[in-house]
Amino acid sequence: MNVTEQTLEVWGGRLSVRVKTAGSGPPLLYFHQSAGLAIDPFVSHLAEKYTVYAPELPGTSAGDPYAIHAVDELSDLVLVYEEVARKLDISSAVLAGQSFGGMLACELAAAYPSLATKLVLLAPLGLWREDLPVTSWMTEAPEKLPGLFFHDPAGPIAQAALKLPEEPAQMVAAIAQRVWNNGCAGKFIWPIPDRGLRGRLHRITAPALVVWGKDDRIAPAGYAGEFSTLLSGSKVALVDECGHLPQVEKYKETAAAVDEFLA
Amino acid sequence: MRITAFAQAPYRFMPDDFEQHHNSVCDTPYSLANRDGVYASIKDFMDELLHAARAGLDGITLTEHGQSSYDMMPNPDLVASALAYATELEGLDVAIYPMGRSLGKTREPIRVAEEYAMLDVISGGRLVAGIPVGLGYDAAINNGVPPIQIRTRFDENLELVLRAWRDQEPFAFNGRHSQYPMVNLWPRPLQDNVPVFITGIGNPRTMQLTLERGFGFNYFSFGGANLTARRIFPRYWEIADSLGVPRNPFRVGFLQTIGVAATDAEAERIYAGPAEYAFRKGLGSIPSEKLLIPGGLDIRGLQALLSDPADFGMTAQMKNATFKELSDAGAVIVGSPATVRDRLTEFCKEHGIGNLHAMLSFGNLSRQDAFANIEMFASEVAPALRGLWDGSGFAHHWWPERLGGQPQAHTPAAERVTP
Repeated sequence: MNVTEQTLEVWGGRLSVRVKTAGSGPPLLYFHQSAGLAIDPFVSHLAEKYTVYAPELPGTSAGDPYAIHAVDELSDLVLVYEEVARKLDISSAVLAGQSFGGMLACELAAAYPSLATKLVLLAPLGLWREDLPVTSWMTEAPEKLPGLFFHDPAGPIAQAALKLPEEPAQMVAAIAQRVWNNGCAGKFIWPIPDRGLRGRLHRITAPALVVWGKDDRIAPAGYAGEFSTLLSGSKVALVDECGHLPQVEKYKETAAAVDEFLA
Repeated sequence: MRITAFAQAPYRFMPDDFEQHHNSVCDTPYSLANRDGVYASIKDFMDELLHAARAGLDGITLTEHGQSSYDMMPNPDLVASALAYATELEGLDVAIYPMGRSLGKTREPIRVAEEYAMLDVISGGRLVAGIPVGLGYDAAINNGVPPIQIRTRFDENLELVLRAWRDQEPFAFNGRHSQYPMVNLWPRPLQDNVPVFITGIGNPRTMQLTLERGFGFNYFSFGGANLTARRIFPRYWEIADSLGVPRNPFRVGFLQTIGVAATDAEAERIYAGPAEYAFRKGLGSIPSEKLLIPGGLDIRGLQALLSDPADFGMTAQMKNATFKELSDAGAVIVGSPATVRDRLTEFCKEHGIGNLHAMLSFGNLSRQDAFANIEMFASEVAPALRGLWDGSGFAHHWWPERLGGQPQAHTPAAERVTP
């Protein structure tokens, strides 16, 4: 998979947003999870039929950590991403996102309903129910995280996804970047990942697919129905034996559901 | 040398195996506590601080920690105000010194400025204002502050508090984190220049801030001064040199847990258990993920910490620390008056320390033993340290005038660049 990278000046010149691009076809904007952007097999799969544009959340681009300080509010971040879309000459696209990125895809589609042709939401954040608290993974012990994110934390898929570089300096850099990336996302979801999306979801007019792992221990699968109810014309795909990262832990099933929806 | 009594307010009646089952912060089950235990823990804590003032120490210092079983102190200004009034009534000329209200945590910076102003008034001008960034769990979990905003809040709130004390005319404040249409405190502090100390853990940026702005710098030795001091203090003084700031020892405060008794053996008999209680059930039971919450520590600081965690001494081993380990690391200094005197004198001389904060009650040390520790420290250790910097030619610019200091105005902030 050939991945190119471009840097877009937005926000009145105060922000440089890095966008990774892969594939060809109609445009698809992909919003990554809080840990940062990974061009994983799922993104590569999307790139087989789409031109995937994956902007990096300000602050999460290597070498530019303090860009996060240029964006104060979630509403500003939505404007930043709309500027990114315009700079890419995208007037409408499939919006896809995972977890925190799923929430951003919803926010963007709610603010600019005509921008989204379809929405692919993989375990999106953004809603809160007292009876279904979202796990505060950023304050959990590191050794507990695999079990929170994966149905099968000991399995080869989880182990490969969690693998860190062995060279010490690279390992430090990788951990620090991942932690900082979460900190950047935290600006928009801390301490509760609810900034009022519930009241805005009705503005979304594009059809949506909501994919959720049945064993999601970060955001319980009960939220799938919640999104489905609030997004008219949406479909839900629940994935068996799957945690919070369906595109990683159950790539084939997730890709199949997404392919069917986008066909 | 100024010597204060420092104390935290731990719940003193935890089960022996507490640290094997519980954290000391955030999610500690309140079912472990009972009414009598809570009352006694706070009452004894306050009595001990007042006793230290009566015993002739120079100040009373305490910290802020919410939702914490090792320091039940959601707002140190409440206790400080009670002690400010009590010491004023008794004519005890001691500094009232919260270390203090966290400006990375607070969402009400004007409230902090007001509380400190009240403390200065109640105490008749004896306030020393400790201003820490605050711990990750306290700001982010206990007060819901996004971790990545802890430092930017601290920076903004610090300037607001100083300005609210200083400016004579009402002003509007349009900050990123708070906005006020009119700031005009009643009362303002009695002191024209309230001494300010900022607590640091080793971050060069914080050290530089204190040196550039004329604030004092406090360092706590909880991780074991024998392991950390030769890293922290030379770093601090080298930054001072690079900025052309004189090596005035009075700009540095150092906190040390101390136990004194007639002999070394007697001291170990009395203090070993409470020291283990304090460190195992306190600092040792704060999980690192509650301190290092993503965004709370700058990415470069995080890289530095991951590459070389030695600034934290034996913090990571505290949960199972033995008295010998704590003593060897310098997390505690326990012994006869001569032993303690010698260790502290050598240490403060080597590192240029002009303010010693003596933690004389800790863990589940009994009230009687804490009183005895305070008395013996005040009568047999402190007098030998007081004159340490006599003849150095330096004046104490970080101490209230009423208590013999010569406080100076802080250097105004230059245009600060975020971060």
